[in-house]
Amino acid sequence: MISKTEISRRSARGRAVLAALTASSVLALSSAAALAQDFDPQAVINIGSLYEPQNLDNTQGAGQGINEAFNGNVYEGLFVLTDAGEVEPKLVDSYEISEDGLTYTFTLKEGVTFHSGDPLTAADVKSSIERVTAENSASSRKRTLAVITGIETPDDQTVVVTLSAPSISLPYNLSYVWIVNDAAGDISSGEDGTGPYVLQEWRRGSALAMVPFDGYWGEEPTNGGVMFQYFTDATAQNNALLTGAVDIITSVQSPDALSLFTDNPDFTVSEGASTTKELMAYNDRVAPFDNATVRAALARAVDNEKLLQAIWGDYGTLIGSFVPPTDPWYEDLTGVNAYDPESAQQMLAEAGYADGFSFTLDTPDYDPHPVVAQFLQNELAKVGVEVKINIITANEWYTKIYKAHDFDATLQEHVNHRDIVFYGNPDFYWGYDNPEVTRLITESESVSSMDEQTEMLAEANRIIAEDAASMWLYLYPQIVVSTSNVSGYPLNGLNSQFFVSDIKKAD
Amino acid sequence: MSAEQTDNLTETSGRRRSRGNATYWLGLLLVGVIVLAGLISFVWTPYALSDMVGGRLEAPSLQHWAGTDRLGRDLFTQLMIGARIALIVGCGAVVIGAAIGVTTGLLAAFATRFLDDALAAVFDILIAFPTLLIAMLVVAAREEASLGTAILALGIGLSPIVGRITRILTKQVLGQDYITAARVSGTSWGAIVFWHILPNIAPFLGVNLALQFGLAVMAEASLSYLGLGAPPPNASWGRMLQEAQGTVYTAPWGAILPGLALFALVIGINLLADGLRDRFDPTKGAA
Repeated sequence: MISKTEISRRSARGRAVLAALTASSVLALSSAAALAQDFDPQAVINIGSLYEPQNLDNTQGAGQGINEAFNGNVYEGLFVLTDAGEVEPKLVDSYEISEDGLTYTFTLKEGVTFHSGDPLTAADVKSSIERVTAENSASSRKRTLAVITGIETPDDQTVVVTLSAPSISLPYNLSYVWIVNDAAGDISSGEDGTGPYVLQEWRRGSALAMVPFDGYWGEEPTNGGVMFQYFTDATAQNNALLTGAVDIITSVQSPDALSLFTDNPDFTVSEGASTTKELMAYNDRVAPFDNATVRAALARAVDNEKLLQAIWGDYGTLIGSFVPPTDPWYEDLTGVNAYDPESAQQMLAEAGYADGFSFTLDTPDYDPHPVVAQFLQNELAKVGVEVKINIITANEWYTKIYKAHDFDATLQEHVNHRDIVFYGNPDFYWGYDNPEVTRLITESESVSSMDEQTEMLAEANRIIAEDAASMWLYLYPQIVVSTSNVSGYPLNGLNSQFFVSDIKKAD
Repeated sequence: MSAEQTDNLTETSGRRRSRGNATYWLGLLLVGVIVLAGLISFVWTPYALSDMVGGRLEAPSLQHWAGTDRLGRDLFTQLMIGARIALIVGCGAVVIGAAIGVTTGLLAAFATRFLDDALAAVFDILIAFPTLLIAMLVVAAREEASLGTAILALGIGLSPIVGRITRILTKQVLGQDYITAARVSGTSWGAIVFWHILPNIAPFLGVNLALQFGLAVMAEASLSYLGLGAPPPNASWGRMLQEAQGTVYTAPWGAILPGLALFALVIGINLLADGLRDRFDPTKGAA
């Protein structure tokens, strides 16, 4: 048996990096918290966001906005991915794993009730997991939970999950599964969760309001409710913060917007750890991108530092690969295929493209992609590669590229935490197919300790970096801005989550 | 009518005339400057279009007359190339719009009652759609956005307006006695169109096409703003505006200058067209 303490023994390396990253902002925050001791427990916190959910059901393609608003606030999972990147038990009191790693026995917390008043039972957990793995579910986590072969409920407080293969990430993956009352029915416009907040009103196109749940089993929120206000335009969102219409904005989209808030004592600007990566994804199935030498040559032809400076000024980070510092298997790989236009030209010649070639870059029409595309066009022209920019909408991106794989190369921002697993799936849109990487990523699920998993995924990350599977440009900064009388909000926003129950607002 | 009244009349129309002249010359100046900038851009620009020659968002200076964008590219160079693109698109769209519009307009005017009504209805229906919307449909129907696609799309978008005006003007001319005289004396319809109709409708049509040119320039900027115009590295004022949107607080010149250029060209064209109408319009010129 593996004890439950295993889960908190996550890679010390990941934690150290995270701590270093957030050290400055934490310092800033603790002083802000000291100032905000006399908070108003009735204050309603207004949060500005650009991500309005399409509906309220995270298995029905609602978008990242629903995770932002509901994860940990309205719904809770058996486990929670904390803002610091730790996986901790939430609705699970304790759990045991069988020797072969194929059976998990979860004991649920006592005294948990849904917003409708029903108590939490094992049957709710079973139906909640099945909602995500159901055939008509559009959840992005469906694939990772496919190892579950059976869920049994011997009594109301016990859930036994059996797997077809060991899955060390199961608790992590379960942190995405909302526990929903099995009597709730359709939750695309309503809710019945166990979280500290109850949905009060959803005004489509503008706002989503939540108030504290009186019967909450855990600590009660430090505010009198929150209201997510949705904007379609970053400028309007910034103006709302400036005029006091909102108290916090969950992510800032450009350094130029920040200049309004830095050096202004009325606002607090905090930089957290980001998981959003800007990249040029090649279609690795088609020539010449099926050739690793060509991909590596292009990587060497582009000065990422200059690009990051152009887009984000002094913010943002170069990581040299797909794994951000918040993933336990992070490693600084900026030295692999580093900027070196001369060797880029030699490698292109070696690969048989001494005279260069030309390709179409499908570019989503929203910032920063068109500017990034022009930068790449300039840089690659210097080594004789012609880039034809084709501007497309987010919808076209989804159908043409993500679904139909009909493209040469494209630009995209990838927001997820722990998403290196995409490179282990040869059917993913970019079609990277390296049997060794697929093996490492698949087998890393079956190991018995986080250390082994970390080692294998770090190895996979080094291989994709050397293979230049995609062109990783930079890691976005994660910047949260609030008025200075508000504190206690999450900084990292891993997986778009935004826990609101500790937010305090001073008078 | 007393002598005094007559004097007053000539005085007011004289003043109107000179005011008309002033706006005409102002229009000519605005358009002239932009045409010149566009022409010069073929042989000379301060820097190469896509060279990242300066720092991020530099303010206008002696080195960079209009400042630089986020990638450190010279904005004055982009403005000059943008003028070229605006003129090419404007002329191209008007030529295509006129080719389609004048042909169908003439056809409608000459056609049987039934065909005429049908074509007139088609014009009206198409005009009910905003030009930009029609242009967007055409762009969407083509696989890739390009300068040619944008020109074609706007040309098609403009054609129903030109068609309707051509039809009305032609019908007016067809009702004149000299057309009947020409018919009676055995002149063919082709010769009538060529020798009598086109010369008579040309001044009015020309003024209208000038206005359509202004419309096409605006529509191209809108298309580019939406990302449906000529793709980079073509520098369109619309795309410059779009790219400057996020930095409007920190680097306002990036948005103000292309906006001003667009304003100057469109207002210039309109003033010019107004002035031309005053010159060609016999009912006004008589005073």
